[in-house]
Amino acid sequence: MKKLITGAVLLAAANTASAVAPGGPNCGWGNMLFSGQSGIVYHFLASTTNGTSGNATFGMTSGTNGCATDGTLTYGGKAMVSAMLDEFSEDVARGEGDALTAVAVAFGIEAEDRATFARVTHENFEVIFPTAEVTADHVIASLEGLIKADPQLAKYAV
Amino acid sequence: MKRILTIAVAGLLLSCPVLAQPAQPDGYLQQFQTQQLAHDPVWLNLLHYDRHGSLDAPRYSSQVDDPRFFLSSDGHSDSAAELEATLRALFAPDPNGNEHAQCRFPARAAWLQEKLGLATTDLPPIECPEFAEWRGIVKAERVTLIFPSYYLNSPSSMFGHTLLRLDPADDAHSEWLSWAVNFGAEVVPGDNSIFYAFKGLTGGYPGRFNVEQYYRKIQEYNRDENRDIWEYPLNLNSTETQRMVLHLWELKEIDFDYYFFDENCSYRVMELLEVARPGLELTERFDNTAIPIDTVRGALDNGLGSGRIYRPSKASELKDRLRYIPDYLHPKVIALSRDTEEMQQDWFGALDPVIQARVIEAAYKYLRYRQVGRERDADAAKASFTLLKALRAHAEALPREDIVAPGPPDLGHGSRRLTLGLGQAEDLNYLSFGLRLSLHSLEERLYGFLQGAQINLGNLEGRLDEDGHLRVQRIDLIDIFSLSPRDGFFKPLSWKIITGLEREWIDGRERQVAHVNGGAGYATALAPGVQTFALAMARLEHNSQFAHELEPAVGLHTGLLWHFDQHTARLELAGEKFANGVSRRRLSYRHSLALNASHALSLGLERHWGDERHATRATLRYHYYYAP
Repeated sequence: MKKLITGAVLLAAANTASAVAPGGPNCGWGNMLFSGQSGIVYHFLASTTNGTSGNATFGMTSGTNGCATDGTLTYGGKAMVSAMLDEFSEDVARGEGDALTAVAVAFGIEAEDRATFARVTHENFEVIFPTAEVTADHVIASLEGLIKADPQLAKYAV
Repeated sequence: MKRILTIAVAGLLLSCPVLAQPAQPDGYLQQFQTQQLAHDPVWLNLLHYDRHGSLDAPRYSSQVDDPRFFLSSDGHSDSAAELEATLRALFAPDPNGNEHAQCRFPARAAWLQEKLGLATTDLPPIECPEFAEWRGIVKAERVTLIFPSYYLNSPSSMFGHTLLRLDPADDAHSEWLSWAVNFGAEVVPGDNSIFYAFKGLTGGYPGRFNVEQYYRKIQEYNRDENRDIWEYPLNLNSTETQRMVLHLWELKEIDFDYYFFDENCSYRVMELLEVARPGLELTERFDNTAIPIDTVRGALDNGLGSGRIYRPSKASELKDRLRYIPDYLHPKVIALSRDTEEMQQDWFGALDPVIQARVIEAAYKYLRYRQVGRERDADAAKASFTLLKALRAHAEALPREDIVAPGPPDLGHGSRRLTLGLGQAEDLNYLSFGLRLSLHSLEERLYGFLQGAQINLGNLEGRLDEDGHLRVQRIDLIDIFSLSPRDGFFKPLSWKIITGLEREWIDGRERQVAHVNGGAGYATALAPGVQTFALAMARLEHNSQFAHELEPAVGLHTGLLWHFDQHTARLELAGEKFANGVSRRRLSYRHSLALNASHALSLGLERHWGDERHATRATLRYHYYYAP
């Protein structure tokens, strides 16, 4: 376990060092933990009419937002992890939860291995979330590192 | 018929591959005319036609307000022309991919193929890359009807909302990643005008369907608005679900007229269900108003489902967790959420490990609750992170109970109410009768409703006096009262707005006055089920007996509300003083006994004190609740 943690930390450090803007220039996954939702003004507008912001994609991914899409997750998967970072961090701390399941599914982890994914992430909480300023990009890279390093989860790594 | 079909098919087989000439839909066109397909309910549903006039000579107009939805220039009102144009377009030979009718209108295509006995090979082969990509992403084998609960702080959400969720077949899937299908007004980005709400309610914005992952809806309702969500799994089978999803694609970026009361989110959701299962009649009963919870009941009554799942809001979650922490520690939870150093204090170290874990969990949840809707704050983030690490360290000790669900909203009393009563005002006996279009008063049966949420829109009360006079006693156009008790954790404002007509004693006579009132204040819970409140009020009254017919007043409104078993007691004392010097006070007591979801009895006692004249009134009433 110690070795695994070290590996992940190195990976994370390398990632942070190499990419000034996480995920590539102008990429959107630099948002930090506890960023919550963006803009209460929009929220007010949306709730007034049950409406949408006018840029709904009908479920289609539109472009890649200038982000690198290499790694295990697709653009949609990264956007999703980024959007539920707060819920995911709480679930990892507790060792269970809907956001944890959603992230496991996004990584393609089958139902029988999700308990392992929950355990590995819970045990490595401080690898995935080293500081309050951790970004989604770092979280995704750490998860990829942990999946690769775990014997049972390694089959889900690219 | 058979012969026409044979000729047509033969013609296709001959002409298409060999001569590469356009396929001929004419044979099928004759067939559809003889079959009256243009008047088939399925076709009418797919085009969202409303029928006007008689069954023998029907005229139609579509609720879709978007030329892109119609292939015939008369398609908005001519169902036969649209069917003919659709059939011709399906046979169109030019393979212009995503824009071909086969790609844009797959539900129409599938239905026509079925009705006319067309094989897929009869139609020109067209590639639909966008549709294929979308079907690959939006996996849908099952459908769940979603009801985010009542939300008083927004005019369009106070009756709740409905949307659909598309789930894959796999039981081990993540519901967070399922697809939510939502109908709402399409907001122009950057439009921050103060008329926004007004425009939204009156059809100033077009309505559209959108599709996004369900976790965004969970965040929007459970976290940002602190609304509980109720999920009703439907029994649509795979074929029915596919039919609905094909039609959903036809509605991509298509504008509807949006009206708040009738052709709203709930109405459109019902239409999708009608497309999924032909023969269902869900929208007919909602011609005038479609209150979301009534449409949920309608779906359940029509055999679409029976179970329900509760997804609590963040505030409900926190309140539930606090039940497991002794009251004396509640201030400590708050203190810990403000200063994580509290974990180093003796009081914390002395706690049992299970309670330690619970206190950390509650403090974390409370801190996050306070941050909702705010910009990221570095100090709050640091404290959140410290608590999160502590939660991680104490996770093994943390018990995991399911949250106890409150009464489900579909089992609450009906939205509409008929009332019959007997009363006495001073020496005059009268018969009281009333109709309320929606929805709930504080003294009524609480089961299935949000505690402290009174929403009465369209309440009419009449009176027949023993001397034969028939009068309108009161009309409440809008009567909303949000009563939310404050405690150490939650600091909501209670508020009230009411406007309509009522009768007031003036110069020895009762007269009708028009009024608008608004006010705000605080409420607190004295004990479980017992709340008191005090609100500062402002009033504008139109009264023909005043020197100036329109007079403003300020006042105070206090009261006590007590729920016990099937009883509710509501005691109120209110007073107001007008700019012209007139003053009034009013004491009222209403006792309500809910027999079940459909029947209730109530007793109302009122005492009015005017400057010169006092009046007392007592009324015993029977209420019948139903859903339209």
